[in-house]
Formats: sequence, structure tokens, C-alpha cells
Amino acid sequence: MMRFHDVQYLVREGCRNTWQNRLMALASVGVLVCCLLLTGFSYLVFVNVDQMFQNAYEQNVMAVYLNSDQTDEDVVRIGEALEEMDNVASVTYLSKEEFLAQYGAALQENTMESFEGENNPLPDTYIVSMKDLALFQQTLDAVSAMPGVEEVSYDADTAATLTKVRQVVMVVGGTIIVVLLAVSLFIIVNTIKLTVYNRRLEIYIMKSVGATDGFIRFPFVVEGMLVGLIAGGVGYGLIALLYRTLVKNFVFENPLLALVPFSQEWMPLLIGFLAGGTLVGICGSVISMGKYLKQEGGYGA
Amino acid sequence: MIEFQNVYKTYNTGSHALEDVNLHIDDGEFAFIVGASGAGKSTFLKLIRREETPTSGEVIVNNYRLSRLKRKEIPYFRRTMGIVFQDFRLINTMTVYDNVAFSMRVIGRPRKEIHRRVHAVLKLLDLQGKSNRYPLELSGGEQQRVGLARALVNKPALIIADEPTGNVDPQMSHDIVEMLSQINEHGTTVLMVTHEHELVNQFNHRVITLEKGHIVSDTGAPVRPATVSLGSAAGEIGGVGE
Repeated sequence: MMRFHDVQYLVREGCRNTWQNRLMALASVGVLVCCLLLTGFSYLVFVNVDQMFQNAYEQNVMAVYLNSDQTDEDVVRIGEALEEMDNVASVTYLSKEEFLAQYGAALQENTMESFEGENNPLPDTYIVSMKDLALFQQTLDAVSAMPGVEEVSYDADTAATLTKVRQVVMVVGGTIIVVLLAVSLFIIVNTIKLTVYNRRLEIYIMKSVGATDGFIRFPFVVEGMLVGLIAGGVGYGLIALLYRTLVKNFVFENPLLALVPFSQEWMPLLIGFLAGGTLVGICGSVISMGKYLKQEGGYGA
Repeated sequence: MIEFQNVYKTYNTGSHALEDVNLHIDDGEFAFIVGASGAGKSTFLKLIRREETPTSGEVIVNNYRLSRLKRKEIPYFRRTMGIVFQDFRLINTMTVYDNVAFSMRVIGRPRKEIHRRVHAVLKLLDLQGKSNRYPLELSGGEQQRVGLARALVNKPALIIADEPTGNVDPQMSHDIVEMLSQINEHGTTVLMVTHEHELVNQFNHRVITLEKGHIVSDTGAPVRPATVSLGSAAGEIGGVGE
């Protein structure tokens, strides 16, 4: 069991080692910052593409036509039931008079007049937009089965295409992020291995005088953690600067293509950079040290 | 105490480093292990330090039966011995004080105790004026004394000196063995590997000769001369029983 003054000593050793090996530490920080930036930008690309699809989803709506024999109370009740559904983002009521006014403009005036009042053949309608188009079919089935609903009109092809494309983007984005993290770990392990190699004499002496594996590993873990934290902080600062510049300089007229503001993503990015950097730093140190802790004889390998 | 019982060591390459070695070194003895290159001296030391395991046979050191030693017990076993290397193996970025203190720090000794004992052992080896110097600022002999200080500071029951005189001049070689002899006078077992027969002949200690993996001669423990005092600091650092 390590005592408090041991931990204090080991943390101090880790910090001292980082400073003494500052060139290698700097190299590790540099490599890690590059990897974190690549991963961070992949994440932001993913978030932006996702946001664009989300915007496109909101344009994709279904029209819910009600039976003509519904009373005003029935119409209100159906509207409330629609709003309470999990996957429904918004519900807009379109009375049959509004419907006629909106879509009958193309008709000739006398034809239009013949459809007014009791002769209006159009139904009361709700325009419903969904939160997640992946649940399109379930939502459609549930709405169609509601009492008082005569028919639901929708653009099934667009919904299916958008859903498929979004799934592909999610899989590709996720894979890129995982691959970049693995590459980061690989590079950082090899960079830290050089640091550990430079200090194999220290490790050998520690083992010679009876230091436990935990005691030997601890300062290196502190060093990896420090490198990771510094890389996370620097990386976050850089990505904030670069992305804000990007958002400021690329303003699209089409709102569908608007970039997600940095203020919306700063928290997951900050946590991701600090936690990711620290984790990769610590794992890198632990993996790099493995060989030297297992090796019992000599230090020149 | 060191005991080898029918010890064989064959490496994966097929080379037989040690064959049927039987040996007993009592607590408090001073023994030279001599032999030419390839005689098996390094393997002999590696087995004692549990850096290698025998192919067959049993090695017992300081009451640890090494074949039964678990991996996590190895550090605690190694704390019972100190080691002095031919090439000193000092950390050049640390001062003399820190090099010596390092071996106490890494086994978690309290700061006050480290301070007291490091100063005592530096005084014992006449290095008190060098505590803030770096190894590369010292002569070979001084560096070896720092190595010896590092091996001594944890008050080990056994000191293993692996050709400690290989990189120093003849006078310093004699002085180093003299220091080891005086440490031995206070009860610490000393095992020194060397190939310098002339140096060995200057001292009245047990000599074990290895040749091609076999013990070809063993003078046995000599009758000990009267104790030579090393001064007050030796009492601070010396034997295990203190």
C-alpha cells in the first residue's frame, strides 16, 4: 500500500521527469495535438453533417387528413394526441378553409367558388414533422391507426434516402474517429517508448534495488497524464480558434447548410480533448513500459 | 546465505552456462568468484539476483527459495541485497546525493531516514564533499564509491559486486576491495566477481573458481583476522542486524 508521501514523491518525480525530458515530452505533445485535432475535426464534420440532415428532416413532413365527420372537439383531440407522440417534432393545423385558400389559388375563380362552404371537398388537415426519420414507418403506422384519421400523405422515398444517408454518415464518422484514436495511441506509444528507452537505466536500477512495478510505473503514468492534459488543452485551444474562424468566414445563404456554432459543441469537445488526451497519454505510458517491467535481466535491450 | 543445489542453466541458444553447481556461502562470508570470460560468472550472478531462473536445481538466497518466488515477491527479495556494477550505472542527471538516495526513495523510505543515512554512507565512503556533484564530474574511483554507497545505503544482508574494479586504477581497485572487506567485517555477506587474480591474492578471502560452467576450485572460508574498525559511520550503515 502506497503512503501519501510516496504518492507525493512519485507525482513530483513524474513532473520532474517531464521537465527533464522536455524535448521528448514536447514531441509527444505535438504528435498528440495533431491526432486530437484530426479527431476533433472529424467529430465537427460529423456534427455538421448530422445537423444538415436534421434540418432536412424537419422539411420532410406528413399530411394527416381527417375524416369529414369529425366535430371541432374531435379535431382538437386528434391534434393533442399527435403532439403527445414521442417522435413528433411539430404539429400545424390547417382547416379545410385554409387548405382551400392555400392550394385552390390555381383553380379558376368560378370553380373555386363552387367549392366554398358546404361544398368544400378538402379535409381538415394536420401537418406533422418528425424528430427522427429512422422511426418514420412506426410513426406513420401509429398516426394512420388513430381514430378520425382518414389518410396520411407522405414522401416515403425522401424519408428512406435521408435515413440511409444519415446512417452511413454515422458509421463512417464513428469509424474515422475510432481509427484516428487508435492511430493516435499507436504513435504516442512509440513516441513514449523512446522516452522510456532513454531512461532504461533508471528503470533497471529501480528494479535492482527492489522497487515494485507500481512504484516504477507511477511517475511514467504521471508523465503520460501531464503530456495528455497539456496536449488536450493546446488542442482544444487550437480547434476553438480554427473552427470559430471557419464559422465566421463561411456563411451560407441556405440555412440547411449553416455550420453548427462552436458555442453548441464546446463542452463535448473540451471534455473529449482533455479526457481523450489524458487517456491516450496514460495508456501510451503503460503500454510502452510493459517490456521494461517484464524484462528481468540487463537494461541494454 | 547463498546456496546452489545441483544447479544447471542452459540458455535457449543451447549454450550450457552452468552445470551441476553446488555451493554454500554462509552469512557474513566474503567470497571472490573468479573465472575467465564465458566461465559462467554472469549467469551465476543473474541466478542469485533472480534475473534468470535455473534450468534445473535450486538456488536459495537470504532464505528465499528462488524457484518458489512469485513475480510480485521479487522486489522484496532484491531489497535484501545491494549491487555494485563494473560500469557504475549511475544516473548522470542526478547528483551524488540523489543517486544514493534514489535506492531508498524507490522503496518508499521516509525522507528523514533517507537524509540521515545518505549522509552517513557518503561520510563512510569519504564522499561527503561531493554530494552536490554530478557523476560525470567525478573520477572513475569516486563514481565507483558512489555506486558502493548506493548499494550500501539500504543496509543489505548481501552485497554483490560485479567486477567493481574493472574501470578503476590498481590503487583504487585495492581500496575498493578494502572497503568491501571492512563492510564485510560488520557482518554483511560480500560476493565479488572478478577476473583479476592478482587483486584476489592480496586479500585473505574465500576464492571460488568457475571454468566452463563448473566450479573447479573452492578455497573455503579462511580463518578470519581480527576485526578492523571502519570508524563510527560504519556502525550507522554496516551490518544487517543494526
